[in-house]
Amino acid sequence: MARFGMMIDTRKCVGCYACRVSCQMQNELPVEVSYIKFYEKETGIFPNVKNEIIPVQCQHCEDAPCESVCPTKATYTTEDGIVLVDAEKCIGCKYCMVACPYQARTQDHLTGVVEKCRFCADLVAEGKQPACVTTCISNARVFGDLDDPNSDVSKAIIKHNAHPLRPDLGKSKIYYVR
Amino acid sequence: MVWGTIIAAYLFLAGLSAGAFLTSSFVSRKYPNAVTVRFTGRIISPILMGIGLLLLIVDAEAGLKNPLRFIYLFTNFNSVMTIGTYFISFFMMAAAYVALMEILKKKVNKIVEYIGIVFAVATAMYTGFLIGVITTVPLWNTAILPILFVVSALSTGIAGTMLVSSFFSKKEVHQVLSIKKIHLSLLAVEVFLIFTMFLITSTSNEAAAESVASLVSGEFMLLFWIGLMAIGLLLPILLESLELWNARKMGHSEAGLQVAAAGSHGIAGTLVTESSVLVGGFILRFLLLSAAVPIAFL
Repeated sequence: MARFGMMIDTRKCVGCYACRVSCQMQNELPVEVSYIKFYEKETGIFPNVKNEIIPVQCQHCEDAPCESVCPTKATYTTEDGIVLVDAEKCIGCKYCMVACPYQARTQDHLTGVVEKCRFCADLVAEGKQPACVTTCISNARVFGDLDDPNSDVSKAIIKHNAHPLRPDLGKSKIYYVR
Repeated sequence: MVWGTIIAAYLFLAGLSAGAFLTSSFVSRKYPNAVTVRFTGRIISPILMGIGLLLLIVDAEAGLKNPLRFIYLFTNFNSVMTIGTYFISFFMMAAAYVALMEILKKKVNKIVEYIGIVFAVATAMYTGFLIGVITTVPLWNTAILPILFVVSALSTGIAGTMLVSSFFSKKEVHQVLSIKKIHLSLLAVEVFLIFTMFLITSTSNEAAAESVASLVSGEFMLLFWIGLMAIGLLLPILLESLELWNARKMGHSEAGLQVAAAGSHGIAGTLVTESSVLVGGFILRFLLLSAAVPIAFL
């Protein structure tokens, strides 16, 4: 059993939105719906300032708050640690959207089902990488097994001293270099 | 805002329905002669809950399109929504039974009524826990919220029951004095709870402070001060106090007693008081949902 996770190096991200577009293609999403949101954050005091571009998607939390509040058990975690939504069980009550600390969920207004980043579970099952990772022009994204100390992602997290966005909001599986 | 007006209306109706059931149970014991008030409370309770549930179903789009999926609502015991679904189911069954017996003029089974009372309280509380367990929104994530919702549920329940009753029996509305006293204290407690909640939560963190600021001095200022505080709470407190004071005065004079016995005094006060409480009850839920600022994660 793997425990899939990702590292995003915001220092390398140029905000080209290629990951978002490839994600929309992969998941067959309409233009206005996306699983990756971009945030900009200014830090520091002039003249020592920094502008970060931070792509945010489902953080695939362990003990995910969206999973525990879901009244129908539509949201579940696979054995590989990927948080998924069973579209056949979702009633669209939006409790998960309210509970998600990262506002990473969005509702499909055609079906009413609430969806989000799936870590491209289908591709990963075939041994491939998620669409956002393979498409990233600056290799800002690294994906792999967090339990394997020799995986690219584990090594990269150690090398760049990456951290989850907010470790106090739960154990998320996307690590950020900032 | 993920949850909007529809959910606010549902939270309001669920509380109102539970409150009306409790009001009628209280009246049936304390004032066995106040048949109209008891009847009204028992009838409106399942109807209002039913409207609330319909709103929920409409808001849950995926379920609306595939109604069989609502069965799954009973499956996740870690979710407050699942627990609430059980509470509402039991409450709804008891309330519908009691209403039916009332219509058929049959004796209500005491045990079923007690079950109804327990699950009415549970339903009112659950609406608070539903959003209270959301750690992402500090405005909701406070222990005082479920208590505020229960107090508001009882207060709107009394208001709804009295408002509808006043159309059918002016006399009874003036007769159930202790209901009015309870109502007055509930309204006062509600003001205190809102004050406490806002004062303490606003100091807990930035998102909470932002939520409270948007209510008392920002975007929702007018709705909060005029809609909730002035119309929803202070006006009914004032009118209810005047009415109770008046009732006491009347009890002291011969002429007053005659007027009271004839039941000929107006219901304008009751109409205004109870409608404004209902308006306030809805605005309270609407504001708490609208002013929800999630914690910043960046």
